[in-house]
Amino acid sequence: MMHETTDKKWFDELVLELRLRQVHGSAIGDTVASAHELLADTGQRAEEAFGPARVYAAALELPSAPQHEWVRRALWPSLLGLLAFLLFNQAVVSAVRSEQMLVSPAQLALVATPVVLIALLPLYLTAVIRRIWVLIALSAICALAGLLSGVVAPTTPAGAWLAIDPLPWLIGSALTMVVLSTMNTIRSLRPNNDDILDPRSTTTHSNGTGTKVVVLITNWLFPILALAMLGLALSFR
Amino acid sequence: MDVSTSAPETAGGAHWPSDWLRATLGFLALRALSAGPSYGYAIISELERNGFGTVKGGTLYPLLTRYEAAGMVTTEWRAGEGGPGRKYFALTDHGRAELIRLTADWVRFTNLSTHYLDPEVHTKESST
Repeated sequence: MMHETTDKKWFDELVLELRLRQVHGSAIGDTVASAHELLADTGQRAEEAFGPARVYAAALELPSAPQHEWVRRALWPSLLGLLAFLLFNQAVVSAVRSEQMLVSPAQLALVATPVVLIALLPLYLTAVIRRIWVLIALSAICALAGLLSGVVAPTTPAGAWLAIDPLPWLIGSALTMVVLSTMNTIRSLRPNNDDILDPRSTTTHSNGTGTKVVVLITNWLFPILALAMLGLALSFR
Repeated sequence: MDVSTSAPETAGGAHWPSDWLRATLGFLALRALSAGPSYGYAIISELERNGFGTVKGGTLYPLLTRYEAAGMVTTEWRAGEGGPGRKYFALTDHGRAELIRLTADWVRFTNLSTHYLDPEVHTKESST
């Protein structure tokens, strides 16, 4: 039992390391299957036969997709979704109260903080995945920036840098979120040729109902949170 | 001065210095495939049977993956008998040509080394 748990951890780490190296899903499936094949033949533990998963993943030198590919496919849409969500949050209270949306430079800088942190993600993605405290620190910074942006928000037009009609921003940001979520849902429903396939059975590594639900919720996370914010704003009107 | 290291990659059988195995494992693996397509465990067993010790999967598979990328080896998954399939490696023409070239070079190198290491040869040469 312990044996299986240790090996499962090793294989999970191997898949993660190969994913971090942008290795194609079919090559990952092939690597995992051939490792399982040898372990079944020798009766060894994965670490004993192949060494540390990270070292083995590096030693394989498998062909990898260029990094800009995932930045274009995943990072930019996520960034745009986050930006739309942040704009929606800034506009929703003013729109519900039928007031002008007041913006100060400090507030703008604080709203931009999470966007900049996410935009720079390719520079430190590996550190975020390998060290949980980096992820916690980033989340804390983003949450703090969000809270502080509310604190420094100007209360009177005199103290504001910009005073704008919130409605176009509210509608625009809401539409952007819905369009991005719809696009992501369509993309995730299509058969993905980067899935991890076991060459011995041609079934995907993990694609159960649970995974599908998680993917669906993730795709619609910003609209769901935006609706919650709208509900809160309406209840405190 | 001891410049060679022990053999951490080999777990059983002969304990050759790891430097020697690192230098030769490539064409030894190609040689193991020269009789026909074979799979990971069979290649390891073949090398062990011939006195090279137990090569680990973590050493063999990266080597075969590089050979596949270089076009010296092709791979194919075949259904197993009553069990999951196996990944078979087979030499390509390029791999076979490379094996012949490396074998000839290795024979020349070992002859040269043996000749140089032979104390009798040195004694004869210095006396003439």
